[in-house]
Amino acid sequence: MSRAFINSHSQRSTTRSRCLSAIAALCLLVQPASAQDNVDRPGYFEVRSASSQLLDGVHTLDARLQLVLSSEALDALASGVALTIELQIEMIRVRRFYMDDVEAELAVRYELEYRPLSQRYIVRNLNSGDQDSFATLYSALNSLGRVQGLPIIDDALLEADRVYRIRLRAMLNTQQYPAPLRLLFFWRDQWQLQSEWFEWLLER
Amino acid sequence: MVARAIKRVAYTVLAAAGVGLVLVALFLLSRTAQNSDDFNRLHNVILAINVAGVVVLFVFLVGNLSRLLREYRTHVPGAKLKARIVGMFVGLAVLPLLVVFYFSIQFINRGIDTWFNVEVEAGLENALKLSRAALEMQMRQHLYSTQQISQRLSDVSERQLIFELSMMRRESGASEITIYGANNRILATSSDSSSASLPRPLAEEVLLQMQQDRPYVALDPDDFEIRTAVLFTSRGRADPIGVLQAHFPVTERLARMANSVDTSYREYQQLVFLRKPLKSTFTLTLTVVLMLSLLSAIYGAFVLSRRLVAPIQDLVAGTRAVAEGDFDTRLPTPTRDEIGFLISSFNDMTQRLATARREASLSQALVEAERTNLEVILARLSTGVLALESDLRIRTANQASGAILSVDLESRTGEYLPDVAKGQSLLEQFVDVAQVHLRAGETEWREQIVLRGEVGRRVLTCACTTLPGDESHSAGYVIVFDDITALLQAQRDAAWGEVARRLAHEIKNPLTPIQLSAERMRRKYLDTMPEEDAQILDRATHTIVQQVEAMKEMVNAFSDYARAPDIELGIFDMDKLVHEVVDLYRAQESGIDIVLTSDPTMPMIEADMGRIRQILHNLIRNATEALENTANGRIDLHVSAAEIDGVDVVQIRVEDNGPGFEEGSLSQVFDPYVTTKPKGTGLGLAIVKKLVEEHLGSIRAYNHTEGGAVISLRLPLNEAAREAIITKAPARADLRRERG
Repeated sequence: MSRAFINSHSQRSTTRSRCLSAIAALCLLVQPASAQDNVDRPGYFEVRSASSQLLDGVHTLDARLQLVLSSEALDALASGVALTIELQIEMIRVRRFYMDDVEAELAVRYELEYRPLSQRYIVRNLNSGDQDSFATLYSALNSLGRVQGLPIIDDALLEADRVYRIRLRAMLNTQQYPAPLRLLFFWRDQWQLQSEWFEWLLER
Repeated sequence: MVARAIKRVAYTVLAAAGVGLVLVALFLLSRTAQNSDDFNRLHNVILAINVAGVVVLFVFLVGNLSRLLREYRTHVPGAKLKARIVGMFVGLAVLPLLVVFYFSIQFINRGIDTWFNVEVEAGLENALKLSRAALEMQMRQHLYSTQQISQRLSDVSERQLIFELSMMRRESGASEITIYGANNRILATSSDSSSASLPRPLAEEVLLQMQQDRPYVALDPDDFEIRTAVLFTSRGRADPIGVLQAHFPVTERLARMANSVDTSYREYQQLVFLRKPLKSTFTLTLTVVLMLSLLSAIYGAFVLSRRLVAPIQDLVAGTRAVAEGDFDTRLPTPTRDEIGFLISSFNDMTQRLATARREASLSQALVEAERTNLEVILARLSTGVLALESDLRIRTANQASGAILSVDLESRTGEYLPDVAKGQSLLEQFVDVAQVHLRAGETEWREQIVLRGEVGRRVLTCACTTLPGDESHSAGYVIVFDDITALLQAQRDAAWGEVARRLAHEIKNPLTPIQLSAERMRRKYLDTMPEEDAQILDRATHTIVQQVEAMKEMVNAFSDYARAPDIELGIFDMDKLVHEVVDLYRAQESGIDIVLTSDPTMPMIEADMGRIRQILHNLIRNATEALENTANGRIDLHVSAAEIDGVDVVQIRVEDNGPGFEEGSLSQVFDPYVTTKPKGTGLGLAIVKKLVEEHLGSIRAYNHTEGGAVISLRLPLNEAAREAIITKAPARADLRRERG
């Protein structure tokens, strides 16, 4: 994940002011401390924007996600339970006279964990093993919600004269939890966090 | 039968498979509840199988319950017992299960709660705080030394920067120090790592701190490395030109301990978080297990009750069948237990009952056959048999009894005998005599009864016996009686015949010598004697000869009566015969008017013509003799064919206008030597009666209301008529045989 050291103040301030308002709202919503006031917050995942680019023969994904955790998820996080957030990407071949065909599927899983001793949040890419730590949940979620230059598929694998659609969604994955928890999550709406599909045509 | 067996086997296999599946699922469920990773993926499937098992069992149970209710309402045999057994089993199963369930839930909740200890939690928190404090102290020290390095390096020229940096890194114990310029450009770096990789760019949060002109210090959560960052100002410049970031390793011992505290705290917190879901899962598992066990137990109770009650239901059905008379019922004996023994006993019982009934019906048939035989014998018997109840109602009476007493007793069965006798003079007299004996309490009696009827007296020999009954009452009486009138008559006739034969023999023998002697005397002495004596001798011998002749005639008549040649039946015309005989008498010009009324179309009769001719002669002569002193004597002779009581007969009636029979001797007119006439042997009518009875005919004599005697007789027309007469009065056959 590339990070740019901001040298342009004007540009930085506009981006930041927008982000800060979101952070303020998010912090209020998702801080473990704030979850303890017994207010149930359902939480939601949303794909704000997404696009793809062809760089050196590889299609890469840029996306902005809004990830708001529910009270129960926050409780679990504060209790040391690692949350798995999954990005699902599907490459769909458009067919004129037949149902569209899913040509390729890609799932990128991130693990979000809170460490009580260092009081830091760890975000780990389970696909690559890369990890980062953050002082606040906001910065962790913000980092998670900012996807940049994620390679999706080699253009050579796609048929040249075909039209493809890409769609993306984010979801809270509960498959790795122990059975008692999964059974509980199965019945709880607060653990069914999943965004709508965000879909666009592949530019080539 | 085969289909039912296949269905049963299929059902059993299905049930066994279902139970096996549910048991496996239960086992797996218990494993998953213990958080075994192998079964994590299957958890929902297993739970679904268990829930499906519960649902299927529930459906089965509802079906069974509704069937039981239906059977209970319609009073199907065994339903009450089944309901009681099910109730008992359910009671026995449900209570312990609920108790076990309750205590299990309690144990689970308390067991899970005991994992969590307030002191342990506080200790962990304190350990965490202590670790945090220890690390924070190091962090502050490292931040301070970082700030020192930054100040010292700010005076160093760019050329010596790298050298100084390395030296200070070693002095401070940092693992890596890097100076970043604008755009994350690395101005200088020093690291104890031998790897050639470049330091990572500054983190965003470091930049944020720097922008706010605040130093940055943070602990890396994984390898417990302390990261510090401060602004770096170059010599002679007021604005900072970059950021100095240093990495300090925590001592290994501290890192290990901190890691242990961190891990323990996290795991404890996870357990706290898991407490509720664990309890819920265990409770759910237990509930499913309880439901399965409970429903299985109830279903088992149904199956068991059905198994137990089925032979009893069979027994009930069998008993009903036996009660309705079906002794061929055999029940299947499925088990070798007490119920099996009961069923085999039942089968034995029905078999014995069936045998007993067969024997009973056989003996009943025998009795019926005997009874029928007896009835036939009674019917053919010429003796009258009359069975009475103890209250004198008629139980049975044979045909002969009716014929003898001139009442159809057979059709009056069940009626009170004295009531039946009213208006029937013969029966009335009979009943009077019988009642005298019965009232006197005689159980066995025998008497000869003389009954006076319209056509003469009847003599019956009568014997009565009491039927055996219980101690206080007799079961009835049987009166056996015989009409011996004809027998007595025959005996009397035979006696007379014998008398006549002997008389004829004894008298006839001396008559001829007497006659011859008289004639010889006359012949020898008539001419020799004087006129006067000759006249006397002539008159005397004439009288002797005449009287001897008369006596011969009388003796011949006797011998005629006694003689009984075989009857010779032949077919002839009655009308013609009657005309012949009447013409003979008309020719004698006796001065008596004989009027014959005869039907020329009358059918031919089958009889002994000689005897019939004699009957006609005797009757006409008898009438003629009776009219000797009567002026304008007239004889009316009627001959006709008729059907009387279903028997074809020829009726002959001879009427005269003479003095008639004497009232006193009317019943004895047919006895020999009973005569009212000045002339005659007194044998004429006796012979007529004998000849008529030889033809199985009947004869009666009575006086005409206007004066004069009437003799009326009936002769059977043919053999069929004679058979009919025998059937009606069997006693007549005996007479016939006797005479024949």
